[in-house]
Amino acid sequence: MKKIIVRFLLVVLLIACTGCGSNDVKAPEADVKPDETQEADSDTAEDTTDGLTDDAANDEMASGENTVAADLTTDRQGNEITLPEQIERVMVAGPSNAEILVGLGYADKIAAADVYSGNVEGLNSDIPMFDMTAPDVEKILQLEPDVIFVTGMVQATGEDLYKPFKDAGVCVIYIPSSNSIASIEEDIRYIASVMGDVSKSDAIIQEMSEEINAIKAVGETITDKKKVYFEIAAAPNMYSFGDGVFLNEMIEIIGAENILKSEEKWITAADEAVVAGNPDVILTSVNYIDNPVDEIKGRAGWDAITAVKDDAVYYIDTDASNNPSQNIVKALKEMAKAIYPDKY
Amino acid sequence: MKRKITISIIISILALLFAVALGSVYISPMDILRIIGSKLFKSQLPEAFSDTNISIIWNLRLPRTLVAFVVGGMISVSGAVMQSVLKNPLASSYTLGVSAGASLGAGFAILFGFSLPLIGGFSLPVMGFIFGLGTILLGISFAGRLDKGFENNTIILTGMVISLFVNAMVTLMSAIEREHMQRLIYWQMGSFSAQDWKNLFILLPIAAVGILLVFHYNRELDMLTFGEEQAKTMGVNTKLVKWILLIAAAALTGSAISFAGVIGFVDLVAPHVVRKIFGSSHRYVIPMSALLGGVFMVICDLVSRTVIPNQEIPVGAVTALIGAPFFAYIFFSKRE
Repeated sequence: MKKIIVRFLLVVLLIACTGCGSNDVKAPEADVKPDETQEADSDTAEDTTDGLTDDAANDEMASGENTVAADLTTDRQGNEITLPEQIERVMVAGPSNAEILVGLGYADKIAAADVYSGNVEGLNSDIPMFDMTAPDVEKILQLEPDVIFVTGMVQATGEDLYKPFKDAGVCVIYIPSSNSIASIEEDIRYIASVMGDVSKSDAIIQEMSEEINAIKAVGETITDKKKVYFEIAAAPNMYSFGDGVFLNEMIEIIGAENILKSEEKWITAADEAVVAGNPDVILTSVNYIDNPVDEIKGRAGWDAITAVKDDAVYYIDTDASNNPSQNIVKALKEMAKAIYPDKY
Repeated sequence: MKRKITISIIISILALLFAVALGSVYISPMDILRIIGSKLFKSQLPEAFSDTNISIIWNLRLPRTLVAFVVGGMISVSGAVMQSVLKNPLASSYTLGVSAGASLGAGFAILFGFSLPLIGGFSLPVMGFIFGLGTILLGISFAGRLDKGFENNTIILTGMVISLFVNAMVTLMSAIEREHMQRLIYWQMGSFSAQDWKNLFILLPIAAVGILLVFHYNRELDMLTFGEEQAKTMGVNTKLVKWILLIAAAALTGSAISFAGVIGFVDLVAPHVVRKIFGSSHRYVIPMSALLGGVFMVICDLVSRTVIPNQEIPVGAVTALIGAPFFAYIFFSKRE
């Protein structure tokens, strides 16, 4: 009998062990996490802006008139919120939110930020940094933030990591990762409204629209569209995207074509599909390996691709292209120059 | 028996052909044969063949399928040996810590950018291999010290304790180097994407030597499954044989996963299926595990790259999807 129990325990242990080994913990990536709940959330968020087509929204922003403050009874995800009367100290989780706040001129109000936002230019370097998927509740509460801006990507785990802050009476505002340029502009307008001055978003959005429209004007004249493949993660898990991602929109604005445009949202591309798609230009925003461009050129079998033959593989700034904020314009310009060096 | 073996070989060849014939991109079987033929005999192909199609077959699909086959074979043989030597139907290199160790090695390479001199590009697989094998060796030698009799349960328990310890180190490392953590996790999920001929030519001799060595001990393996006491009375130096076989099995898995990432369950599933079909004599279990394990992996890889067009899902998930129910089946039938 004892022997049986020992065996049984062994088996249980073994199972527990193999179980641990194969658990794939999803890591937080750049601000562009493909996440079902998040997508659903951002869809509902976009619904609130219904009635305004992308262009109409753009025009309205660009003109700088009729700037209406966003609905502040809910966050961008649709959760009900109660804003404090005065916002002096802000905590920010997610580099896109940090970029937007800095862009709006609120850098000095940011009292704490997550480590991914550490690279954001203009952020005070001496503020405490924390892990956005495991925020140090005690330490952050001690800073007495009035609001916390949280990117939707932290919800990949399915639980509300920021509930302790809500329970402590802090206003937690979720901003799901935006999937379109119009939605990014909406984020900017929303954050400006929360901070109490929606008009501050006008200049940013107008500048964004002007630069985008300038590139669009050139892009529309291009008839012989180059085929582009854009990579977010290197081999063997080549992470890319299809339709329904702001980067796809950007490729189209430039007057080029994503070889994976028939796919939906974020995907892990099959290498065969990329080689068969035979892109004219390959872009990568990978920055976690030493030389992403050479890594792509050196891949077995990729030497048959036009982009590799023509040496048209380029690095695009990681933060600018991965974080949905006004800084995508910088990535857009880099992409335009890389794809059509003689046109832009 | 002969008929069963012949059928298995035919099924295997068919599966390999299917794996080369199918993919995200459709290329007709005739064209595929001509591409392979021209590459093997260095003849010129007509202009009509596009560079990309040739590359897809010759540089992507073919090496990938063959690497999957070799890796599947290696880890299945390794699993068969572990199960027999340790007399535990659920034992594998993974439970003894090879994956934890390999992850630690990969972690050093990925998280801290540690690169070995001379072999820069191969730092990741080499580190994975050294640490994977090292972890198992540590576990086994620890067990040998603790327990003069070198009992199976001692080996498994020390292996698991060390495995958990090493896993904790990997978690700690990932927590410190969060920025690069995603790459380590991708690596751990396993993939046959971006395999080239070079990898195959490195793995093939290791596989051949390892599997032949294990096969050489097939009689000892048979005796060990009857029980150690009996094996001893039949003149087997059990301690030495166990050492050799465990290290060979660990080296097989260690080198396989260092190229493909941690891919579980195949090593568990294939040997059990083989024993059901071919009986438990290791004269058959070892070569057939290599064959069927390889084919199982090729099929899993085929599923992982074709089930969603133009996209890939991690092969580790596919093997587990098929392997997990089987795992439960073994578990519950044992309890009766």
